[in-house]
Amino acid sequence: SSNEHRLNFWKSKELCLSYIQDALLQKQWKRAAEFLTSYIESLEKDFSTVFMGPSEMIWRIGTEILCSHSRSNIREFNSFIEQMKTLGVKRYLKVCLEHAFHLLCNGLIDEAYQNLSLAESWRFGEQTVLQDKEMKLIQAYRGLLDYYSWSNQKNILLEYGKDGLEDLSVEQEMRACFRKAAVNLKEIIKIPGVWDLFVKSYVDLLEFYGDHQEAREVLTDYAYNSKFPANPNAHVYFYQFLKRHGAPKKSLISALKILHDIVPSHELMIDFNTMLQKSKKRKRRRLGLEVIFAVLDYSGWKENVKAWSCLARQVKQIVISEKHLDWIKQQWNSRKDWWPAFHFSRYLAKRNWQEDKSLSYEKALVAGILLGKDCKYFKYVSHQGCKARVKRFRTLKKFVNKHSPAYLRISG
Amino acid sequence: MEFPGALFPSYFGCGPPRDEGGPAPAAGWGERGEVLGTRPGRRQAQPPFVPLRSHEGESWTPAEAAAVPLLPPNTGCWIPAVTPQDILYRGVLHRKLRTGRSGAALDFAKQLGHFFVDHPEDAFGSLGQLLHKNFHLGDTRVRKRSARDTTIRMTTLVEKINHLEARRGCPQHQFTSRLRLFSHLCRDWLFEVPLELLADCVHEELLLQWANLLFDDSSTGGALAWLPPWDASSHMGRLVYPGGLAMNHLYFQDVVLEEQPRARGLPVQFELNGRIRQVAAARVDGQDFVGVRSDYHCGVWRMPGKTGAAPSPLQVIRTDVPATCLTVSPHLSGELSVCTQSGAVYLWNIETGLQRLRHDPQTLFFRDHSPWRWSDFTAHPRVLSCADRTGILCLDARAPASCHFDFFKVGEEAKCQQGERVVLPMYLGRAHPCQYLVTTQFAIYLLDERLPLVPVLKWAHMMKAPPLFADIVPGESGRSHKVLLGTSHTQELLLLQYTGEKTDSPHTACQLTGPPQRLHSIASCLPHLPTQLPLQHHLLQQRLSIPAAGLAAVQHEQGQQESLLVFQLSEAGDVFYQTLRHGAPPTPVLDQGDEAEPAPTPNEGDEAAAPPGSPALPAAALRYRRWLRPLLRAWVTSPASLCPSGPPTLSQRRLFTRKELAEVAPNALQQHKLQLQQAMRERGCIQRWEPAPEPPTPPPSLEPNALSARLTAAWGGEWGAVGPAGSTLQRQQALRERRRRQKRNRAHRRLSASFTSSVTYQSELSELSEGGTPHTPPATPQVAAECSPPRTPPPTSTEILLSSQELRSRGIPKERRRTLRDYLSVWAEGPQDPPEAPSSTAGQRCIPSSQSQLSSSSQSQLSSASQPRRKRPRMGF
Repeated sequence: SSNEHRLNFWKSKELCLSYIQDALLQKQWKRAAEFLTSYIESLEKDFSTVFMGPSEMIWRIGTEILCSHSRSNIREFNSFIEQMKTLGVKRYLKVCLEHAFHLLCNGLIDEAYQNLSLAESWRFGEQTVLQDKEMKLIQAYRGLLDYYSWSNQKNILLEYGKDGLEDLSVEQEMRACFRKAAVNLKEIIKIPGVWDLFVKSYVDLLEFYGDHQEAREVLTDYAYNSKFPANPNAHVYFYQFLKRHGAPKKSLISALKILHDIVPSHELMIDFNTMLQKSKKRKRRRLGLEVIFAVLDYSGWKENVKAWSCLARQVKQIVISEKHLDWIKQQWNSRKDWWPAFHFSRYLAKRNWQEDKSLSYEKALVAGILLGKDCKYFKYVSHQGCKARVKRFRTLKKFVNKHSPAYLRISG
Repeated sequence: MEFPGALFPSYFGCGPPRDEGGPAPAAGWGERGEVLGTRPGRRQAQPPFVPLRSHEGESWTPAEAAAVPLLPPNTGCWIPAVTPQDILYRGVLHRKLRTGRSGAALDFAKQLGHFFVDHPEDAFGSLGQLLHKNFHLGDTRVRKRSARDTTIRMTTLVEKINHLEARRGCPQHQFTSRLRLFSHLCRDWLFEVPLELLADCVHEELLLQWANLLFDDSSTGGALAWLPPWDASSHMGRLVYPGGLAMNHLYFQDVVLEEQPRARGLPVQFELNGRIRQVAAARVDGQDFVGVRSDYHCGVWRMPGKTGAAPSPLQVIRTDVPATCLTVSPHLSGELSVCTQSGAVYLWNIETGLQRLRHDPQTLFFRDHSPWRWSDFTAHPRVLSCADRTGILCLDARAPASCHFDFFKVGEEAKCQQGERVVLPMYLGRAHPCQYLVTTQFAIYLLDERLPLVPVLKWAHMMKAPPLFADIVPGESGRSHKVLLGTSHTQELLLLQYTGEKTDSPHTACQLTGPPQRLHSIASCLPHLPTQLPLQHHLLQQRLSIPAAGLAAVQHEQGQQESLLVFQLSEAGDVFYQTLRHGAPPTPVLDQGDEAEPAPTPNEGDEAAAPPGSPALPAAALRYRRWLRPLLRAWVTSPASLCPSGPPTLSQRRLFTRKELAEVAPNALQQHKLQLQQAMRERGCIQRWEPAPEPPTPPPSLEPNALSARLTAAWGGEWGAVGPAGSTLQRQQALRERRRRQKRNRAHRRLSASFTSSVTYQSELSELSEGGTPHTPPATPQVAAECSPPRTPPPTSTEILLSSQELRSRGIPKERRRTLRDYLSVWAEGPQDPPEAPSSTAGQRCIPSSQSQLSSSSQSQLSSASQPRRKRPRMGF
């Protein structure tokens, strides 16, 4: 009854696996390792066509144990992985990549580089889509390591460059590294994905050698290609590039405007608002108000003094000039039903006053203008401020009282 | 709030999931995922690369050996969970055999009976009015001659029914002919719900129950909530959980966090009119808002931010279709979001009421049959997420139709597997304002609202069931956030850690840190409870392995020691907890646990291996005992401990056709038939089996040889010649005479034909069974069918009848052979009764006429631990 035998074998295999799993989840690495040695027997009859066969499981579990076991060392790890590489053709690249990651995380950059080069030269018949992707990643990481050694040499050159002795050889080496890195990095960033690290490195290389046009193209593509995910970093890199190269304000603003549309809560929005507030154009100042209001919609910015002071400054400006009160009104319309509870409750007034006086000052100013002098937040803070005899709170009270008609126009 | 300066590299694709696969048991191990380089050119400063999955994390070691009960048991709840066997039809006998062990949760006849009693207007309303004149209620006779022909006197019927009730539980209680006639006449029309319709409904319900057994998503989110202390200095928080008979009571219990958490005072209690499915809570402006969801009602309570303040109910809404989700806004006080199975998503404000944001019975990204919907809040107070099994959409409550974006898709975007479905989305606002957790049956995903569709972290969790519950314990100042995942049926509990953005510059992307850790399940405490009698042990086993219903976690500091408390709620309403202590700095990952004995897992069935009654801490032992005592006390008095329904009435019709039996032994059968007919004529007894009072441990039955001799004699036609204790035919007949005399004095009774016949054959077969399958344990009928009994009596015709080959040769199909054996094994108990049992004093071996005595004496005996109880057949749904 070979069938029965097979069934029993399968059963004990599963049981063994569950024991291993159990030990791993309780951090009993030694026990897991003991079970794993038994589990290796399951390779003997690995006819499985399932998604994850025993060999892959041995690789995964073994790696996990060796990574976490207190008495494992990198040499043992390497020899284990080398054996695992021979176990399955389909997984070869994946195992190589993970091996390189492990080496990199342990600071063994040269070994990782060797491993990646070795994996890159591996050929085995037709490649699947997955293997193709893995191969590209391997090349990209090798490119990244090339970039790192290039950047090291650059640092050396900048430090000792004044002597002018070894310039030529270092420069040649750098060139070689640049070429190797650029080829590989260029490849991967064409494929849709999140390649922050690779893009940054590639742009750095290009900028160093003065190829601004190419760098700009790469960044534009990374930010605006619709096949790529809406990665805020892509826009940030593009904006920083423009800023570095002294691009006109108009293009900076348009880059940030797009970022504002995707991620209204991005930290660059504060810079954006300051930039727009300074502008002479009415339209831009109006956009600035919109941007800062949008930032403060998000709970993460709720207690950010910088953002509140930006809003307070602009609102104050508008109220003093008594022009464009309709801008505030427009922004306020979509917020007046929930901002009072979200920002200006009595509870928050107390807490803000206790924790951060300057925050409560900025907020009270905004509250006084938007909600009038009877608003709970303003009343509490100005009262406390006057009680504590802080001068600016007294001026704040005067200011709000003076400009109470503005409140009527905003709310009306 | 800053966005990480660089994210881990990943491919991005669109479309359906390409990755074929399934639940891979080790998929979460061994991978680094990706690596991210920190600043280049600074080799000397720490390793320049960080992995997506790091092995270094905080170490938390469990302080107890198993989960410990926090509160007294919910003694009201004895409703057993539905098991697959309740629904699967595997033969009448099979079900009867196992009814003794599991509760009859789906006793359809009983449920229908309750319906008739509770809603008579719905069940019999109009026909009752129509037939009003034809039923006479009262003791007087119907006087009018014209009316006498068209009127039924109901009093007698009611009396008969009452008699039946009184004899409930008697093994062979009979129906009176009048009742039988009445039910035959009326059953098609008296009950106003058409039978076909009822059958359809029952079928539908069965399907629903079956689907729920496979995966029950009604408790998604969990029904346990922790309301943290008002200020950091106080150590008293509150636990909100359901309990009571039908989990329809809401409790607010003060819990003091000390070395061990302990309940203080009595809980504040609210009775609701539905089973509580989910309890959600959030703190806004120093007040806790608690949302409670049952199937058709959602309610919200407020807990003012003062110590000693009582919770107050604020508002309740009713839904036409079951609600699937209720979440409380962490931004604005008194705002909640509600989803229903019809595909509607509402924003519920206590002051302004309900606002429907979306109504779409279709799923978001591809077609999926599940009506489950979920909704949660996001970093923007006006933007809500709407989820179904296929993905998540975010929409702006101010313009829900026009302002929305896709947040998560089951597809290539998140590198999902085929067949993967969203199980629980959760807003992690307490850890990071922009982060979101999504669990599927295979993996967990961490998402950032600012980068939709691309998960910033993915990990295959390898749990056996989909995680329906999750909670987060935010780590402050750059420490790791702890995520707890819990499953319902398997009670698994997993602790993960991840670091979000660190406060120090440069901002790094999310990383999973440290190996995942399994925490104790509720069932794991069974070996630590004091040793129990088998029946009580079984009860405890059942009680503790009831599916989990919720989890909550809280981190607190006791002096220098940091502890992580994890509360778990079971569907029976019991609350357990376990403590984890923050261990040594994690840089060298210690082999904790290697030295300790491996904790037993509940599913391995090796509870016996662990020393019972020896928990790690004496405090825990005390808690176990304190929990156990009221539970067992309540159990003894509960209806569940009594035999819930009467013993079985069996029918032999399914076993053999008359033809088959005639082939076996035509002569003997003929003889028995004659005997039966004679007995019926004489109204005498035909059966010698009597369920006599038994000692708790039955002494070994008759010697096989004596037994087989007796059987052979019986089979040979000397029916009754060999009786227990050497009784002779004469003595038997004398007894019969006496019985007959007694009976004449009593009310006239008749046996219903089918019943008598069944009794006869049972008696025959029970005799046979002793030879063929001696004492087959009912639980393993297959084993009995496969192997021949060791102490084989000399081959007799009985044996021949029962051997597999013989049955096969007679063309009795295999499944029926098994049924036969099961059947015989049930009845094998009867003749086992020791001959010297005191029953002989009663001197009544005639079952049908001695029901009342039997029901009283045998009832108490049957409930003893050693004997499997027999029950009436019931509808299995």
